[in-house]
Amino acid sequence: MTKNKLTKNLIIILATFLLLVWLFPYLYLVSSAFKPSQEVFSTPVKFFPTRLSLENFRNMFERMPFFKYLFNSISAAILSTILAVSLGSLSAYAIARTTGKRLSLFMLVLVLMMKMIPISSIAVPIYEIVMDLGIYDTKLALVIVYAAINIPFVIWMMISFYSNIPTSIDEAAAIDGASNLATFRKIIFPIVLPGIMSASIFTLFLSLNDFLIALLLTSVEAKTFTVAISEFVNSYNYDLGPMMAGAFLFSFPVIVISFMAQKYIVSGMTSGSIK
Amino acid sequence: MRIVSRKTLLLFFLPGAIFMAMFLIYPIFKMAIDSFYKFDVYTNEKLFVGLDNYIKAFTDGSFLIPLKNTFIYVFFAVSIETIIGMALALILVNEFRGSKLIRSLLLSPLMIAPIIAGLTWRLMFNSNFGIINQILRNVGILKKATDTITWLADKELALVAAIIADVWLTVPFMMLVFLAGLQSIDKGILEAAKIDGVNFFENLFYIKFPAIKQIILTAISIRLIDAARTFDIIYVMVDEQVTVISTVIYKTLVKYNRTGYASAMALIFIIFFVVFTLVFLRNMWRPSKGGS
Repeated sequence: MTKNKLTKNLIIILATFLLLVWLFPYLYLVSSAFKPSQEVFSTPVKFFPTRLSLENFRNMFERMPFFKYLFNSISAAILSTILAVSLGSLSAYAIARTTGKRLSLFMLVLVLMMKMIPISSIAVPIYEIVMDLGIYDTKLALVIVYAAINIPFVIWMMISFYSNIPTSIDEAAAIDGASNLATFRKIIFPIVLPGIMSASIFTLFLSLNDFLIALLLTSVEAKTFTVAISEFVNSYNYDLGPMMAGAFLFSFPVIVISFMAQKYIVSGMTSGSIK
Repeated sequence: MRIVSRKTLLLFFLPGAIFMAMFLIYPIFKMAIDSFYKFDVYTNEKLFVGLDNYIKAFTDGSFLIPLKNTFIYVFFAVSIETIIGMALALILVNEFRGSKLIRSLLLSPLMIAPIIAGLTWRLMFNSNFGIINQILRNVGILKKATDTITWLADKELALVAAIIADVWLTVPFMMLVFLAGLQSIDKGILEAAKIDGVNFFENLFYIKFPAIKQIILTAISIRLIDAARTFDIIYVMVDEQVTVISTVIYKTLVKYNRTGYASAMALIFIIFFVVFTLVFLRNMWRPSKGGS
């Protein structure tokens, strides 16, 4: 018994230690954001601010139209999520209910491949398409491109949810005379709602956190927060304080939301790898 | 009996498919063509050059060095993430007071933007005002107060720094997947092993790992792909020192405006991913339903 108790205590100590190590960078981000602006560059480096200050936040707001960029990020993320999830979940239903096994497998493999394509590699033609459509530096461009690259992801996630629904349910509805669309809307949709929630939260964060697409497709008007904050490092190190203030304001709500929606995020993360 | 009519299926499938065709499939075909041309930097005139762009990619440092860096990055980041993620999962699979809270808190970096992670670590690795060097001074690894390690100014150390940032960002994912796997192991088997008196390592290598082999391999595959296409962390943290394939493709296009060469590199990169995906499907992926 005492040996068991010892291992148990050891486990708790180890777990707590690793937790602290893992939280350290984020806590350092927070503490740097609230340091007086001079203190970010003082040596020896201290973890805690000597006094709490909002100077970094003030400087950050002076340096960039924070709310404009944040609004660009959030609106592009929300709109593209709605688009990707509605189109993707319909496509996924079609693939899941295709009677030809070979055809549905082929489509599934195709979708998986598209999900794995590195975005940096198709950046060249995507940039040209957006230029040709005349929508460079618009939110529309971001919405469309985010939706397009997230659709394979949504399909991939939703298929496993549809596959868990026995086809007898569809059949029963069809026999009762419901149209295909009505079957989907009234019967299938409510069952897969948790899956749709997971897919939505995921695509929302993927778009919100995106950097490369926004870097490529925006310059002034539609610039997103991630691109704006990355520019703080270009003008050399002296903006690290305001940069951390911005990083805090952007990431803190994300952490709070993901903490509350953890159930959905966890099921989304594990859906691809477990079963 | 056909459950859903073919027409309806097509109707459901098409809108999503059109988006994918336009922004994911068409680009690949366009690049395949562009990769055989050289574009004039100023007039954008096309000149057919055959396989020149490909030959250049495989003989020139401008592609081979980023390729080498990508391999190093992927190899070390994914290995370390797997080991730490598994260790954390093995610790947290034990229930104790606060284990749920610790698990939730550990998952919090999961959704942080990679760019925020890159910027935070950039600050931490700063040679003068970075807390990493300060910690090394405090524990006596750096002897004098003026000693510094210029992490981000050195090609090799910069790669190490970027790997550390990547590990920090993605260990929670690995832990989460492994934990779900460990929790799914049949309790009866573990009980039986306990009665038979197997030791910790036998338990690990003969019972637990084989039971979740599939999950481990899938998680590693997902991470291999994600690490290979990393852009954000490298770009904001160590762009001056380290280039990987995704950043070199971006820069060849945007900075040097060499569409043909960028297309060739991108296509090589995509072929690599497609092959990897097919191998992954053949060997590891067993769809729970369908297939057959």
